[in-house]
Amino acid sequence: MIALLRYQTGLLLGSHRWLPPVLLYAGFLVVGVGAGSPVLDAFAFAAAALLPLTVWLTRVCVTNEPPAARSCVATAAGPARAHLAAVLTAALVALPPALAGTAFVALFSDPRSNDHRVAVDLLPATACGLAAAVVCLLLGTAVGAVCNRPVLHGTALPVCAGLLGCVVLVVPALSPASAVVRGLVAGSMSGTAAMPWLPLGAAIPLSAGLVAAVCHLAARRG
Amino acid sequence: MRLDGVGRRYGVRGPWVVRGVDLDLPQRALVRVEGANGSGKSTLLRLCAGIDRPTTGRIRGRPRTAYVPERFPPALPFTALGYLTHLGRVHGLRGPAAARAAGVWLERFGAAGHAGTPLSALSKGTSQKVAVAQALLAAPELLVLDEAWTGLDAAARGELDRAVAERVADGATVLFVDHDPRRLAGAADACHRIADGRLRPAPQPSDAADRPAEAGPRVTVHAEPPGAGGELPGELPGRPVTVREPDGTARLTVPAAYSDALLRALLTARPPWHIRTVAAPAGPRSESPAGGCGAVPDAGEPDGGTAALGAVPEGSAPRAATGPAPAGSASPAVTSPAGTEGGSR
Repeated sequence: MIALLRYQTGLLLGSHRWLPPVLLYAGFLVVGVGAGSPVLDAFAFAAAALLPLTVWLTRVCVTNEPPAARSCVATAAGPARAHLAAVLTAALVALPPALAGTAFVALFSDPRSNDHRVAVDLLPATACGLAAAVVCLLLGTAVGAVCNRPVLHGTALPVCAGLLGCVVLVVPALSPASAVVRGLVAGSMSGTAAMPWLPLGAAIPLSAGLVAAVCHLAARRG
Repeated sequence: MRLDGVGRRYGVRGPWVVRGVDLDLPQRALVRVEGANGSGKSTLLRLCAGIDRPTTGRIRGRPRTAYVPERFPPALPFTALGYLTHLGRVHGLRGPAAARAAGVWLERFGAAGHAGTPLSALSKGTSQKVAVAQALLAAPELLVLDEAWTGLDAAARGELDRAVAERVADGATVLFVDHDPRRLAGAADACHRIADGRLRPAPQPSDAADRPAEAGPRVTVHAEPPGAGGELPGELPGRPVTVREPDGTARLTVPAAYSDALLRALLTARPPWHIRTVAAPAGPRSESPAGGCGAVPDAGEPDGGTAALGAVPEGSAPRAATGPAPAGSASPAVTSPAGTEGGSR
């Protein structure tokens, strides 16, 4: 698996296709998180901005290889493992931007509540922001995996499904990503940072299950 | 490895591409699959390689497998050596061993000069060499070749023939498709034809030695046993047609692709045999393979070296023949055991 991850990472970094999603994420942060914005609001925004980043990166990773090259790797490692490596590479490559975004928010936002009256402890707030980033990273990767090959083929359908997936993750209260973002926004009102244990606990098995199902399908469909 | 009642269709209501395939792929076998365009050859090969899973039936006992696609895309952001090193690791080699094997295989296919070239800058033929090297560098137990010879130059085609023979001699299974009926002619252990999605045994010149015209280029090795009347080692590569001379020596005739593997087996046998001569068969037989292939513009590939070897006068000083005989375009690995063998005697 290490060899596959190295290969996929080399492929992704060498193809430079990681650049547009990462630039989009950076742009979101710069525009959305001005200096002096309330820290928990800013963490909520930074976490939500990870969703399009990870969905896009996952699409890049699973479609990066030409079919013949994919066949060579799938023969050597098995199609399911080859696909899993591509998805994991997307999550791993999204990790440095996610950490950088969290650090950016921690450094440049105002550690106070929404109305700038109640002071917020920066350390627990950063821990909450990091947990929210992990939840969004996992779910974004899983949704990216579900919206692309081998489930949906072509370009138009996967891209539209990915966009829709981002919206679906943020809007309803059921999604763990939405829960962490809402939790942070609510915390920002009162100036208290509550660790999002429940969404974190839900996001890990949910995304693992989705990715496992997609990899199983990759072995069936090729 | 065995395929039992394997069928494959794409989509729930799609037509069956292949159906009811029972196929035995034993170890140490070279298996050819024939069929018209679109008959399902590639699908069958992808099933055997494990890229696709059968819709019905099952495949059991797939060993470590490598696959060569028909067209290898150059659109990967690696150099040739970098890509092969990555793939070597994916195939299970350790880092330094992967890089070494990558260099060796590029060298064997005459692409060592392109090791540092980005894949996107390679010609079609050179990127096909990379595809072939990718499959061979970890010595797979099952090698699946989907028209892997397409786009290779004559020297590389001959080298691939020999590499295939080497894998089979090492006990691996090689499954291949090629549109050239002379490809490894007479060397295949089994031949199957796919038509209407069904797989049937194809007529195969199994007793190829009797019909040299169909057998493809062949090479005869005249070898001397280590002691008086020594028995030949069992399981010689290429199932040689053996004639024992009254003086105890043996004349072994194999498909040209197997000549190196046969020499290696004889020279590394314990105790080692002594090679007297290596030659294309004398008499009318030598006409058909050499002449038949020479008449075709792009041929002369596997027997380019061996036809020249026919000029080695039989019965000339045996020790002298040992050195130059397997050389020519043959791999250096053959000459080196010959050297050690000569020195040890």
